[in-house]
Amino acid sequence: MSQLPPTRRQVLRWGLLGAAGAATSGALAGCGLGSSDDIRFLQNKPEVIPYFDKLTAQFNSSQRGVRASHDPTTTPLTPQFVRGTPPDLACYNYQLEAASFLARGALSDLSDLPEAKTIAPSVQALVGQFASYKGQTSVLPYSVASAGVIYNKELFAKHDVAVPTTWSELISACKKFQAAGVTPIYFTFLDGWTLLQGIWDYVSGGTLDVAAFFKRLKDEEGKVDKNSPASFSRNFGDACHKMVQLYRYRNANAPSLNYNAGNTEFAKGKAAMYLQGPWALTPLAAANPKLQLGSFALPCTDDRADTKVRVNLDLALWIPNDSSRKEQARTMLQWLMRPEVMNAYNKQALATSPTVNAPPLADPRVAGLSSYVQQARFYQGASTYISMTIPLGNYIQTMLTSGDVPGLLNRLDTDWANRAARSAAA
Amino acid sequence: MTATTRRRRSDTAYVWMLFPALALFTVFVTLPALVGVFFSFTNYAGFGSWKWVGFENYRSLWHDSTILGSYRFTLLFAVVTTIVVNALALALAIGLSSKIHFKRGLRSVFFVPMVLSGIVVAYVFQYFFSFSVPSVASSLGWTGGEQSLLANQDWAWLGVVIVTAWQAIPSAMIIYLAGLLAIPGEVYEAASLDGASAWRRFRSITLPLVAGYVVVNSILSFKNFLNAYDVIVGLTGGGPGTSTTSVAMGIFNGFNNGDYAYSMANAVVFFVITVVISLLQLRLLRGREVNL
Amino acid sequence: MATIPTPAPRARSSAATGERRSWKLTTVLAIASLAVFIPLYLAVTMALKTNAEASSGSGFALPTSLHWSNFSTAWDLVHFPRAAAVSVVIAVVAVVGSLAVSSMASYAIVRNWHRKAFRYSYFYLLAAMFIPFPVIALPQVKLTALLGLANPIGVGLLHVLLSMGFNILLYTAFLRSIPFELEESARLDGASTWQTFRQLIVPLLGPMNATVGIFAFLASWNDYMMPAIITADAQYQSLPVVQNIFAVSLTTNYNVAFASYLMAMLPTLVVYFLAQRWVLSGVTQGAIK
Repeated sequence: MSQLPPTRRQVLRWGLLGAAGAATSGALAGCGLGSSDDIRFLQNKPEVIPYFDKLTAQFNSSQRGVRASHDPTTTPLTPQFVRGTPPDLACYNYQLEAASFLARGALSDLSDLPEAKTIAPSVQALVGQFASYKGQTSVLPYSVASAGVIYNKELFAKHDVAVPTTWSELISACKKFQAAGVTPIYFTFLDGWTLLQGIWDYVSGGTLDVAAFFKRLKDEEGKVDKNSPASFSRNFGDACHKMVQLYRYRNANAPSLNYNAGNTEFAKGKAAMYLQGPWALTPLAAANPKLQLGSFALPCTDDRADTKVRVNLDLALWIPNDSSRKEQARTMLQWLMRPEVMNAYNKQALATSPTVNAPPLADPRVAGLSSYVQQARFYQGASTYISMTIPLGNYIQTMLTSGDVPGLLNRLDTDWANRAARSAAA
Repeated sequence: MTATTRRRRSDTAYVWMLFPALALFTVFVTLPALVGVFFSFTNYAGFGSWKWVGFENYRSLWHDSTILGSYRFTLLFAVVTTIVVNALALALAIGLSSKIHFKRGLRSVFFVPMVLSGIVVAYVFQYFFSFSVPSVASSLGWTGGEQSLLANQDWAWLGVVIVTAWQAIPSAMIIYLAGLLAIPGEVYEAASLDGASAWRRFRSITLPLVAGYVVVNSILSFKNFLNAYDVIVGLTGGGPGTSTTSVAMGIFNGFNNGDYAYSMANAVVFFVITVVISLLQLRLLRGREVNL
Repeated sequence: MATIPTPAPRARSSAATGERRSWKLTTVLAIASLAVFIPLYLAVTMALKTNAEASSGSGFALPTSLHWSNFSTAWDLVHFPRAAAVSVVIAVVAVVGSLAVSSMASYAIVRNWHRKAFRYSYFYLLAAMFIPFPVIALPQVKLTALLGLANPIGVGLLHVLLSMGFNILLYTAFLRSIPFELEESARLDGASTWQTFRQLIVPLLGPMNATVGIFAFLASWNDYMMPAIITADAQYQSLPVVQNIFAVSLTTNYNVAFASYLMAMLPTLVVYFLAQRWVLSGVTQGAIK
């Protein structure tokens, strides 16, 4: 017997195996969403996934030649860029993560679109606070969420407490509630992000000029230690002590509650104030439709003029350079930016459109924040400037429970310097 | 091997048999490893522009309290879990190889954890520690047990040890069972006729005879525990704080947050440490082989 | 690795002296086995409760009525058939690949031990045992995407590679114990190397194949880390990975979550109880070689 035939059979068998594998993967691909000619529209804000499902369907029926499929999955974005398969169009929360794509030149320039010129400069400036690339406009804000203190109007009325407008009023309101046996502020420790966007961002944003601080920090290119003028130790001490002070007026079970449980409990009227943004209003209303709620901006000094509101670009639009269907993606971007589409979305999301003459916040639950947004008295939360690789949420937990403010600030200075040194070019 | 040497005729079929393994290994392991080492000297994010930064990533690692903490946790966890797993596995194996009722049934029960998925087991235990234990503790009036073990920054690692051990004990137990079955029964019978106590029999007969297996087991399990990931993801997510963040977890977290090059540097350091530990263990093993 | 002699078949002897079996020790072990039962009991009872029952108490109480609909809810929520199909693909590629690639390579190495290239290849491949996945994971993400393997097939392939060092160690140890004289006669009959391997060696490798196959199946079926990192499209995620849907988004629906956990555990449990003796003997074989 010669040696060749069995070898060939062997090869054939391997070939068959490979074909079987390919067939299985083909069958798997078959059960995916949409066809591969669609543009992949990434939008995964959990609360509004059904809304954007409908919106995508509307877009598809209004178009000829362009079809989009809505991708609501929460897979991390960075690996998608690493693989070279980012979404064609993203309507995505804009902060450091998305900014890192911008900073590395991975997003396409949109400045030639007429829609880019309709954005209010004060809002577009928020994009630049994180990163920029060759003066391009690669990220268009879509939804500005303003977050303040959600308060229980009934409890405020029952205990005769007025909405505080200064730090002293806030503290005395807390004391009054505490004396009456009402938990003044509700905290949900188990979900670190609620501490970041709540107590950390509100108190720091109301105490110092966050954007200016981080710009100085960036200019120093990582040569930060606790003695340099732009350091956490030098600038955040006051804010952190206020956080520790405010934390005294917490619920006893704060360490074992997560965001969902917190919503359920707060909806039962367990506390007077809740440091959450408009996204919490929907689950709160679902848990207790009769609840009377309002929002106010957290005052952190005794000068009323200092009070500002935390905003974030809850959604912003961008198109990666690696997309092979940029033209189609632009068509969809322009459709989404039509005032009637954008304003309708922001109205139901209790947020503000980023355009120059955007309609003000009308819903009574957030109307208390409207004038701040209109006058651009806002800041992006300090936590959103800090890389996720720095476990700030954990640091804050430790600081609040131990009261060790210098410890946290030292750690932040060290971590920041380390990170800045190795990513100086980004 | 003498038989092989008789055959000198070179045969290309052997080359083709070896080829897939070599080719796959080179393309999927060696090359990525080299590429990874290269990028650990850059500030690459995995996409877009990058530049050379020399040893900056490695210097940063050394000052990164989170990363250093992850190495501390991982080593402590691996050492403690290795001890716990081997002690309990040996005890169970001795029990299961003794003269007991329902031997087969008991054995198959103790093997069950081995076939389950680590992350799913961890999710079940996550509920167990967060709700079941505190609830039982408070109904028994046992203060201190009311707070979840996993929410305790200083003790959450113990939860990770318990769940990992729960899953890892069976495979260690198999090796011990095999070892114990190899001990001739006459040895024991002679010893019990001499009136030796159970503890003495264990110390002077069982332990010396299974010592080799203890070494093999410890090496195998220690290496696995260094890569702890699945159980931690399901149980604590690396928290509270960063108290249960393992090295593997640190690498993946960094990657997902755009710290590609930095995490590569972390991986290179982790690799060097793994190799050093493995070589030390192999030396230990070689010294033992004589006794087996 | 140390080679430990195969145990003498002594399992029967204790049965022979059955009258001296200890009830005390049996009781101790039975109590210890609760450590295995309690989490499983918890999973079963929780999976059958209503949402209200599941969100209060210790979880140990029996459900008032059996709430089977949790399973269908979980089934739809994690797209169970799809996730299970993905897990099957991963496991098939891992098992078939491990058996084929490692056994062929081991045979070639053992029969050519006198040749330097084969000897060095052996040590080169053994190095796989020292490379933990996290170390090469990040370049892997890019590479698998580049080759169109950021999918279950790629995950299966990586399982083949990362267990290759250990598998080759097992196979070579076993093959060395097969006397060459056995092959000699086949060779004299004119059989080629491939034919010898297929018709003579592969059948002889039976027990070792069972061991490698079982290890490959359990490791790849239960793994979370590799599919979570490598698979690009969330739709092609395996059973263990889709379980974290509950951890991320449904923190309160514990009954549905546990129904899903139970469904994820069931396949290996069933396989284990059906093929128990086979599994144990196979694993023991691997453990002591």
